Amino acid sequence: MNRRGFLSNSCLGFGNLALAAMIARDSPAREPWSLPDGKPHFAPKAKSVVWLFMNGGVSHMETFDPKPELTKYAGKSIAQTPYKDAQNPEKLKLARVTVINDANGQQRNVLYPLQVGFKKYGQSGIEVSDWLPNIGSCIDDIAIIRSMFTTDDNHGAQTQFHSGRHMLDGEFPTLGAWVHYGLGTLNENLPQFISMGKREYWNLKDGHYLGPAHDAVPVRIDPRNPLDFGKPERAMTDAEQRLGFDLVHQLNSIRAKAYPNDSALAARIRSYELAFRMQKSLPEVLDFSKETDETKRLYGIDQAATKDFGSQMLAARRLVERGVRFIQIQHGAGGAGVWDAHGGLKANHSKNCLAVDRPIAGLLKDLKRTGLLNETIVVFASEFGRTPGTQGSDGRDHHIYGFSVWMAGGGIKGGVVHGATDEIGFHAIENRHYVTDIHSTILKQLGLNSRKLELPSRKRLDIDHGAPISAIIS
Amino acid sequence: MRALSFLFVLVLTKPILPSDPVDYVRDIKPILKDRCYACHGVLAQKSDLRLDSGKEIQSVLIPKNAEDSVLIERIAESEADLRMPPEGLPLTREQITKIKSWIDAGAIYPAEDQPEKDPREHWAFRKPIRAPLPDVSIPAFNQNPIDRFIAAEWHKRKLIPQIATDQRMLLRRVYLDLTGLPPTQEEVREFLSDDRPDAYERLVDRLLSSPQYAERWARHFLDIWRYSDWWGLGAEVRNSQKHMWHWRDWAIDSFESDKGYDVMIREMLAGDELYPSDHERVRGTGYLARQYFRFNRNSWMDETVEHTSKAFLGLTWNCARCHDHKYDPISQVDYYRFRAFFEPYQVRAEMVPGETNFAKDGLPRVFDCNLNAPTYLFIRGDDKQPRKDKPISPGIPSFLISQELRIREINLPPESHSPQIQDFVLKNHIELARKESEHAVRAVVKRWEAERARVTGTPEEALKAARAAARAEKELENDRAARQVTKAEAELAKTLGIRRIGPAKRLAIAKANHEKTILQLKNPGETFTPLQGALKTPESNLENEASRMKPFPKISTGRRSALANWIASTDNPLTARVLVNHVWLRHFGQPLVLTVFDFGRKGQKPSHPELLDWLALEFMEQCWSIKHLHRLMVTSQMYRLSAKESDTQQAIDPENRYYWRRTSMRMDAPTIRDSLLLLAGELDPTKGGPAVPSAQQANSRRRSIYFFQSHNEHNKLLSIFDDANVLDCYRRTESIVPQQALALSNSAFALDRATAIAKQIDAKSNGEFIRRSFVWLLGWPPSAEEFQACNRAIDELHRLANGTDEQKRQSAYARLILALLNHNDFVTIR
Repeated sequence: MNRRGFLSNSCLGFGNLALAAMIARDSPAREPWSLPDGKPHFAPKAKSVVWLFMNGGVSHMETFDPKPELTKYAGKSIAQTPYKDAQNPEKLKLARVTVINDANGQQRNVLYPLQVGFKKYGQSGIEVSDWLPNIGSCIDDIAIIRSMFTTDDNHGAQTQFHSGRHMLDGEFPTLGAWVHYGLGTLNENLPQFISMGKREYWNLKDGHYLGPAHDAVPVRIDPRNPLDFGKPERAMTDAEQRLGFDLVHQLNSIRAKAYPNDSALAARIRSYELAFRMQKSLPEVLDFSKETDETKRLYGIDQAATKDFGSQMLAARRLVERGVRFIQIQHGAGGAGVWDAHGGLKANHSKNCLAVDRPIAGLLKDLKRTGLLNETIVVFASEFGRTPGTQGSDGRDHHIYGFSVWMAGGGIKGGVVHGATDEIGFHAIENRHYVTDIHSTILKQLGLNSRKLELPSRKRLDIDHGAPISAIIS
Repeated sequence: MRALSFLFVLVLTKPILPSDPVDYVRDIKPILKDRCYACHGVLAQKSDLRLDSGKEIQSVLIPKNAEDSVLIERIAESEADLRMPPEGLPLTREQITKIKSWIDAGAIYPAEDQPEKDPREHWAFRKPIRAPLPDVSIPAFNQNPIDRFIAAEWHKRKLIPQIATDQRMLLRRVYLDLTGLPPTQEEVREFLSDDRPDAYERLVDRLLSSPQYAERWARHFLDIWRYSDWWGLGAEVRNSQKHMWHWRDWAIDSFESDKGYDVMIREMLAGDELYPSDHERVRGTGYLARQYFRFNRNSWMDETVEHTSKAFLGLTWNCARCHDHKYDPISQVDYYRFRAFFEPYQVRAEMVPGETNFAKDGLPRVFDCNLNAPTYLFIRGDDKQPRKDKPISPGIPSFLISQELRIREINLPPESHSPQIQDFVLKNHIELARKESEHAVRAVVKRWEAERARVTGTPEEALKAARAAARAEKELENDRAARQVTKAEAELAKTLGIRRIGPAKRLAIAKANHEKTILQLKNPGETFTPLQGALKTPESNLENEASRMKPFPKISTGRRSALANWIASTDNPLTARVLVNHVWLRHFGQPLVLTVFDFGRKGQKPSHPELLDWLALEFMEQCWSIKHLHRLMVTSQMYRLSAKESDTQQAIDPENRYYWRRTSMRMDAPTIRDSLLLLAGELDPTKGGPAVPSAQQANSRRRSIYFFQSHNEHNKLLSIFDDANVLDCYRRTESIVPQQALALSNSAFALDRATAIAKQIDAKSNGEFIRRSFVWLLGWPPSAEEFQACNRAIDELHRLANGTDEQKRQSAYARLILALLNHNDFVTIR
């Protein structure tokens, strides 16, 4: 095999070695099965995904799903409004409780008024919160899904959003891991699945039964030190390091002559090559010195409030440009995630919206003007929404029965609202979607059939696969 | 070459051509078995239909007319609700075509085709049988029973084993295998110069009696038993328990003393019932304390059932939580019967000598707390739908047990149900009280005496002691109040003017309080503060402080002892086999039964059933001694085979399922880190004790088993090399990812170790340095090509380095060592 040949599928070549061994031992080959060849199953519409995850739970009512009735009935209990059926116990059965008798994740009965105004944007005239004017200005490229639901009423829902499974079910591969498993690399110098921002307690790994080769590689916005062990932690010149890697390569290649059939040895040789290239390439990707001031402003890198997230967004564009498949960005480290506004929702959400609004809009605009938006899906999500009722005097609790997610690019329709919650934002009532429908939509755009990726020893359920939301696909 | 005594002929199996007619046994039966038997076979006969024999299937087909056959109609149905099988993907077009062509060809099946066997006949559910040892023609392989079984299989399959590996490689292999550490240079020299015929056997004995052996092998089993330190959010313990290291040390001690595996099982599952007064043994119940989950008792119980059955029995009991098991004769009721063994247990921290503060230390252990807690079957596994009309009692399905288990309640000795009366508890409290005052000491002594009298004395004695304790406590309070007055007076005396207001107020309060304590002294009563000897862990976040302080029950249900005695019994067909398989896997790189946690009907068949049975019986006869197994395995000839490849043998057995050569293994994470420390001469051999916290790990030189590790906290270096997943790790993953290359090339840990290792090597020339480091680190002298590559690199590195000649030389040597540590065959054990 020539050098390019094996490099172009290197992530499949050695990453799945452990997995193949596992399959071989755990499942007698009843059905013909082979590892994915790295090619899409059908013609893809998108190549890359930028997955923006707001940790803690974003209020859908104060962002993308305005509910004036909340203001109208503010201070009234839900039972006193025409919408009292929302709390019908039958409808609340959806919740699968992890934390029995938790202080949070409870029913909040007294309606809390909207804490922000809304304006119509773009040709579509879709209303977006006044806290998100920049995202609002991109609305004609965005499809909002207002009818999401999930089942874990605590932050284990973060895991659930990524893997499709409730945390009491155990640990399952996340969407990024499936994409990484199914698709070959577009850039032999970079890891294909990158994570930025702090991940919380519930959601630390990705590969699970697909193996650690499919975990996201954590990357920091620091061109001098972007990667764990990404440069020698003791003084060493580049030349010395190059020499060291060369020697290892040479010695391993000599050994490979004695063990020509040793796939682990062959894989290790390749993993050292990728390691070397990764540590050389990543700093360049994260070095923004060649970006114009205008671009940096576009992402809000010039402002203190937006600098951190803006840098991650700019890095995301640079990674997409270089062919990285899946870039997962968590916003909001701390506690269960900074968006978790059990109290002081207004201060909390206005601040957090400010931190992400310009950067996300910057990313959308930048991708659009470079043409990359056509082949890149940007997703904005959080583990659940927040209660229409108030918690304490000025907060909202976790809410699983209805919340919003949006997607843009990669063949997703723009200026579209899909699905709806009831008048008080309680239940998703129209075109309801579980989180795996988001996964399924993305996989479809990437040209993947999740059923074809399934492992023989790990049967997945229909709900694990979900179904693509065809109404938002152009 | 000894292997040549096998004469062999290559037999070419006839390839299956696409034009071959469809064969029932080869093509049809496997499809049906995989997709239909669960409901239409021996375990269940839905709609009174069986599809598990050629004869039975005839009832749903018309020979030579696939088109009109019901079978085809149902499997090819386009409507999902009507299609069979009802769960999972439809049969593939290819599979349906096969079945069609088989029917169209007449639906022929061999006359001897039998329906599925009674599941009770499954090999793993029957007791092991001791087969006669085969005689093999190579004398060297006709001694150790393992060799005889293995060589007989070679003979049958016309395989020629590899030659034995050389002494150096063998030494490295056996050291890493038994201790998780490579030999030192001196140990290499010592072994190579020992020319006694039994030098190897002596070495094995020496390694097996070393504490490093126990650390290595306890780690293997802590993987299987899901060792984890506590985790939660902030300071709240949500999973596992604090001070779990007591259980880790129990495991290490157990391996070091070669405690029988049967005893280990009893101590883990029921040490509190069987050895209630023996803290050393009760430590074993850390296994159950680790299952603790604060938020959801059902998932706590589910995990306990799942992993107890997988770890000890090799059964996937968990599959029966929502419905009857699809492969094994375990009904949904059996699932909850298994759960019922654990239903009454809860967790507590037992006081340990020298520490009264449970946050600082305490032995995590279990006890039966809720003796009458009912177990209900959950309809479809849904905990919102318990069958409350039918409480379930503990038991084992009849296919695994000849006689119904007898469960007897156990009367616990006083020091077990009332740990506060133990002598050391008094001593602990005295130590603490001594820091305060004589009165405090006296109060503690009286309280302890009162606790003791309450538990062991007559009611009169108890009352008398209670009064004494109450009085001593009131005296202590009075003494404290008096001291407060003195202190307040002194404070007031020191202050002047307006500033006196505060101190004067405090003095008044102190005096009033003193008055009160004097009054109390006149009638001290008989109530005293109970003395704590253990602290119950909250059963959930609903438990309040008062219910935590309730006395512990004086009896235990005996359920877990009954379970442990059954699991650890020689009548149990599974336990010994499962254990032997785990030990085998770790010595030989692959197990005899590939599905190490599933010996049920869905699991794989053993590659060497007679050998597995022989070892299981031998193991039980030798008092379940794991060291006996090690000795048998590592002193076999097949253990010493070379890992070299052979095209001809590979053609016959590509996966090396028949062990014609050594299977190479990758060092696991702790072995990599520990080995680097040992080679650098820096390994801290301290045994046991509290886990090294994450923040101190970077500078710690202790073995990795002592590191704090939980679902939330992983050492970065170890986790890059697939450290054990604390939720589920029956076998470690051996991944190969670029992050491993970066960690071993760039981490301060690796770079510093490389420098230190280079200094360990005494060499007068570059050539000597290369040769010595190759032999020591990798186990073989460098070939001319390898030597040249290294020599050139040293010259180059020398040129690139800065400083004096000596500094340059040292730097170049350290880089060469770093390269060898990154050599595939450093992390690979061949």
